[in-house]
Amino acid sequence: MNLSVENISFTYPGGAEALRGVTLDIASGEAVAIVGENGAGKTTLVKHLNGLLKPTRGRVIVGEWDTREHTVAKMAARVGFVFQNPDDQIIERTVGDEVAFGPRQLGQSAPDALANATAALEMVELAAESGTHPYDLTAPQRKLMTLASVLAMRTPVVIFDEPTMGQDARGVALIGNIIETLKSEDRTVIIITHDIDFCADHFERVVAMADGRVLADGPAADVLAQADLLATTNVEPPQLIRLAQALGLPGAPLSTDGFIASLRRRDGTR
Amino acid sequence: MSGTYGLYVVRQTGIHRLHPLTKLVYVLVCLLIGWLIPGVWSPYIVLLIGVVPVALIARVLPEVIKNTIKTAIPFAISLIIVQGLFWTGGTIVRQLGPFSLKAEGLLFAIRGTGRIILAVSGFLLLNYTTRSDELMLALSQKGLPNSISYVVLSTLQVIPRFQRKANTILDAQRSRGLETEGSYLIRMRALMPLVVPLLLGSIVDIEERAIALEVRAFSREGAKTSLLVLHDTRFQRAIRWLLMLGAMAVIGWRFYLWLAPRLA
Repeated sequence: MNLSVENISFTYPGGAEALRGVTLDIASGEAVAIVGENGAGKTTLVKHLNGLLKPTRGRVIVGEWDTREHTVAKMAARVGFVFQNPDDQIIERTVGDEVAFGPRQLGQSAPDALANATAALEMVELAAESGTHPYDLTAPQRKLMTLASVLAMRTPVVIFDEPTMGQDARGVALIGNIIETLKSEDRTVIIITHDIDFCADHFERVVAMADGRVLADGPAADVLAQADLLATTNVEPPQLIRLAQALGLPGAPLSTDGFIASLRRRDGTR
Repeated sequence: MSGTYGLYVVRQTGIHRLHPLTKLVYVLVCLLIGWLIPGVWSPYIVLLIGVVPVALIARVLPEVIKNTIKTAIPFAISLIIVQGLFWTGGTIVRQLGPFSLKAEGLLFAIRGTGRIILAVSGFLLLNYTTRSDELMLALSQKGLPNSISYVVLSTLQVIPRFQRKANTILDAQRSRGLETEGSYLIRMRALMPLVVPLLLGSIVDIEERAIALEVRAFSREGAKTSLLVLHDTRFQRAIRWLLMLGAMAVIGWRFYLWLAPRLA
């Protein structure tokens, strides 16, 4: 499902101008990471993609739907949004019911809702906890449950707000695998993150934001290699790119293989 | 508004700079006079003479009016319905189908509404112009136990935090397809998924705050250091005493009015 953000601006009721003329086109199946310092406008931007916020100027089109003309609940069938804090949504007494909440709201049949909830719990490796009370899970597990509760809705677009925050290495790897699975299913994945190495590992396109504007938008290797530009929004390039730049290697390697290839290119070996 | 200091509205005015106790005493005396002086319109007169000009000088009048109306209207409507339509006996002003609007009930409702408006606007004026931590420090310096100060302070601080949390929960549930717009039935159905996380989250929040306080020696006995310095003046102290004497005079006069017919 294509998303089109057309020159939107947004001012909060208190007068703070959070977005200033942002334009983005995200094609179906694309994986896009949005980076930038706190207050850059990242969360405000993604809240426009499911209609939680309506632009002060401009418009957002999600697969022919103008977000201004639909309720958030209706938009939820197209755009799933994984919030940062899992405790802001827990309503049910068991993990299974909590994950099935979204599918039930969307009107999925009971067997479908159950099947989707089970599949989502398997994806986040919490299938064994289906009967557990959500508050008996650890904080990182609750975050994974939140993720599952949105995955179970089977939306064509999934937005993650800082999904790796508070996760250990195993949790980060698990979320990385989930994102790869979503990409393989041709679903659009959008992430807000400060974890630049995670962003380099899983996202082909990066949008850097600062002061409510898009600072850079393009292939991850191009955007993440611009150390000076990223510095203006307090973002550091990934470790591999920084190491490659320190060694004077050509290109901007995002993976170990890419780094070795750059090393060989510089040394003229194969 | 500042989330850190409850409802406090940052303004550079003389009212904001007054000692918290001066404002507290002033508001309490206004409420007392408005409640005790006989007459249907006395709360409104005290409101116009005592609260409105001070709110105007403090540049918080729009906030006071807006939020007083929001809070008082449901009370006013219910008072007029209950007292106006169901007053026993009394003079009928207008017949409304099977119900009759009584003059005595209506006057009682007008007076009751005035008292509520006065209490709400006075409380808002105090909170909009006084940092809650300064008010609590002032009360602690007068002997109020720290634990009570904390309960009052945290109650005032919890309001904006609750509002922010409620908005986040609303966003999270709507993003999972929960319809919150439309008929009353739809809104009622949406209530539980909004209230449950708010309550559970608040309980967790309170527990975490209690632990955070304990690990920072909150319940340690003995004197505590305050980094806040409250500026008081002899003039303000004199004003406070005068206000309290005035309040006592009103109480005495009211008591006399009550007692005199019984002694005659």
